[in-house]
Amino acid sequence: MMSCKQVSTLMSTGGLADAPLRQRLAVRLHLMMCDKCSTFKRWLELMGVAARAESHAHEDEAPADLEARTLRRLERSQL
Amino acid sequence: MWSVGTPLLPTTVRSAAELPLYDMGVTDPLARLRRREPATLHEIVHQNTRRLFRAAQGMGFSSAEADDLVQDVFVTFLETLDRFEGRSQVSTWLFGILHHKVQERRRSRARDDLHDPVDELFESKFDAKGKWIAPLPSPDRVASSAQAAGAIADCLQGLPPLHREVFHLREVEELSAADVSNIIGRTVTHVGVLFHRARLRLRECLDGKGWSPPR
Repeated sequence: MMSCKQVSTLMSTGGLADAPLRQRLAVRLHLMMCDKCSTFKRWLELMGVAARAESHAHEDEAPADLEARTLRRLERSQL
Repeated sequence: MWSVGTPLLPTTVRSAAELPLYDMGVTDPLARLRRREPATLHEIVHQNTRRLFRAAQGMGFSSAEADDLVQDVFVTFLETLDRFEGRSQVSTWLFGILHHKVQERRRSRARDDLHDPVDELFESKFDAKGKWIAPLPSPDRVASSAQAAGAIADCLQGLPPLHREVFHLREVEELSAADVSNIIGRTVTHVGVLFHRARLRLRECLDGKGWSPPR
């Protein structure tokens, strides 16, 4: 039986995706029974959602002519 | 010689996005890249400029600095193209260059902290058997409010640079731990530790900024 600390660490390091099937199933089982680890998981998920939303808001801030300027610089650097 | 005035796309291709850059069956994309074919370079700039700009900003650089960094990344990319062996994706290679540029700009390479106080904070939340001593407050109720969304920007600002970079690459760019390991030149395990520490710091910070209901 995995402890809360082991489950939380595995989720938080992002190592769960590469963990063996048996370990992934153990985590899933643990989460079904443990509200505290489920809350921690919810924190991790929401932080990801918020960070992506925050960062994608920046995407439109890239100057419209940055691509063209970059291409001009590349052309100069090849001369 | 390539010039900006050179027609960049064959007439049969309606948009740059249709270029079979990764279609090994037609022409070896690596060979096209090595020949510095204008259409290929243009496509790479087009596909990666916004993403790199966003990442540079995500790592804490201003718009002007991010603008400079993006251009520098592509210039270095062109200069070092002959060393690109095609084992990783072009975007991973570009993020690797960005990482080095960022390190140069920060002048000193971020320290490899073997010890981090946030580890003790995490430890202190569990008893000897590894069970949570007290439940964490639930983030559900307020996390979607506009105020709470602004809090993440503040909290990201407060992360150590390397934590912030790893968090961005893993969580926003959604790159694998193996890709991030290649980009920043650390082991996959170390990437996991940095990601873990970044998330713990963020959670503590957000908890203090109203992401959880008052206790």
